[in-house]
Amino acid sequence: MPRYAMVIDLQRCVGCGACSIACRNENNVTEGIYWSNKITETVGTFPNVRYHYIPTLCNHCGNAPCVRGCPTRAMHKLENGITMHDPSKCIGCKYCEFNCPYGVIYFNWEKPHKFWRSEEAAIPGGTASPKEVVEKLGGQAPPYFNPERTGTAATIRPKGVVEKCTFCDHRVAKKQLPFCVEACPANARVFGDLADPTSEVSVLLGKFHPFRLREEIGTEPHVFYIRGYNPARYRATKGGV
Amino acid sequence: MNGNKSLYPIWLGVLGIALLAGAIAGAFIFMQGHILFNANDVLIWTLPLGVYIFLALSSSGLTLLSALPLVFGIKKYEPFAKRLVFLAIATLCGGFVSIGLELGSIFHMIYIMLSPNLSSPIWWMGAIYSVELAVLALKFWKMHTGDYHSGFSKLLGTASFVLALIAPLMIGSVFGLTESRATYFGPVMSIYCLLMAVLSGTALFILYSLVVGRVAGTASSGEYAADLYDEFTLILTYAAGIVTAFTLLKIIIESSTTIPAFLVYHKFEHLFGSIGVFGTEVILGLFLPFVLLLIPSVRGSAGGRILASALIFVGSLARHMEILLAGQSHPVGPKAEQFPQYVQYVPSIWELLVLVFALAVMLLLYTLGERYLKLNEAPTG
Repeated sequence: MPRYAMVIDLQRCVGCGACSIACRNENNVTEGIYWSNKITETVGTFPNVRYHYIPTLCNHCGNAPCVRGCPTRAMHKLENGITMHDPSKCIGCKYCEFNCPYGVIYFNWEKPHKFWRSEEAAIPGGTASPKEVVEKLGGQAPPYFNPERTGTAATIRPKGVVEKCTFCDHRVAKKQLPFCVEACPANARVFGDLADPTSEVSVLLGKFHPFRLREEIGTEPHVFYIRGYNPARYRATKGGV
Repeated sequence: MNGNKSLYPIWLGVLGIALLAGAIAGAFIFMQGHILFNANDVLIWTLPLGVYIFLALSSSGLTLLSALPLVFGIKKYEPFAKRLVFLAIATLCGGFVSIGLELGSIFHMIYIMLSPNLSSPIWWMGAIYSVELAVLALKFWKMHTGDYHSGFSKLLGTASFVLALIAPLMIGSVFGLTESRATYFGPVMSIYCLLMAVLSGTALFILYSLVVGRVAGTASSGEYAADLYDEFTLILTYAAGIVTAFTLLKIIIESSTTIPAFLVYHKFEHLFGSIGVFGTEVILGLFLPFVLLLIPSVRGSAGGRILASALIFVGSLARHMEILLAGQSHPVGPKAEQFPQYVQYVPSIWELLVLVFALAVMLLLYTLGERYLKLNEAPTG
């Protein structure tokens, strides 16, 4: 049985956000919810400042607090290591969201895709309202609705339940890569089987010194980061007093 | 409530309005979702959960008090046993109203039982409180039919005591087992919840007994009962003293540690304001009543007891809210991209109506119990 993992090469990642847009389209993610997200940080004091960017998603932890704490087993592990969520079992207690050390689980506070139910046109009398656009396209919200999300999880998650990244389990089941990996223009995301020592992810993890987010709390994240984007150079020096 | 008959219909009217407002709020919450709450993906749990914790712990405290006569056989407390068990049931029902609206559906509460996860503290908390409610109801029925001392009745008393002991530990573990939130103090939170259960449960019993005794004249009265209220007040003083020591220790650790999570925590603006590191709710809801209870003349007067127990009872809710919110006040991980560095909270009108609904259900049950269930009854023989 494979054990899926992702390696994100921070040197290749340019912070374009294509992963987040692709994820949103593929998984019909509503506004306000981010299966694919980022942590940004600005360090230093002007003029010596630098901007850091770390793409984030569910870490599909080996020892997942969200799975352990879910009272109804709505949050559960697949044999291939993917942390899945079953909205039909979710009671909306939000403990997984409370318990997640990575801030990657979100709650549907209201009926999803509120924007696309709006009857307010951007230019009254000039453009169609979002609701009219949706109706012309057959009534499914949003217009970029992806029916292929169906099968392993709810196509669109209802209000009152949580949701998060599934490593695009529906695509992986069809031997396709997660869509964020597919969409990355810089090949910064590498997906594969950690149990296979010859897989690309295993090779990369053996070649570089990876780090994971909040490793110290023992959750065994399965999203690894290698290298770093920093072309800065400095003159060899021993500092001074 | 036969002490003041003119007050009774007014009281029922007030409760009726509160119940109606709460029921309407519940219907809106079911239809529109939790967008009606001032919660978000940072402040995940807000007032409805705080109210549940507060009422559930108070119910556990009342059950623990009822164990004095029912489990440990201290006969002088027997005249209070039936009322204590009934108050525990009614208070827990109020808590269930609040958690039901927090979950958004009563069916969600039932579904917890159908798909159990034994590694989940939330599952254990829900299961134990559900079983506790059933055991307390059975125990009350046995007492109501005059059976205090049969083997089965005693077994029910012991079971409710054990459940009331474990349930607060489970509430504490919901927070304490969260690896990512060090500011909830790990397993220590369970001990704190147990202490708070005893404190708020005892405060509620004294407050309730004295107020109902004055207004309706149905609570246990007389010199004998006055002596026992002295003892309950002493229990309250000890409980307040232990919680005060615990709270001081907690504040000292929070103030002196350099663990990063606590450094962020320091920047949380106290919900109810503060003087230095001491939140207003700690000063007015714990330190002040404890000092009042240490003064013999205050501790011995009905007015002093009402004031101290009311401050402690209301202060308990405020302290639960403060702890609940402070631990969630800053965004975790990438959520800092969408939310400010520190998230402040003021409850929405809908959340306040959940509080009103929960309290109204609890108070209606108290009222009906006092009127129809002979809560002053003591076992014969």
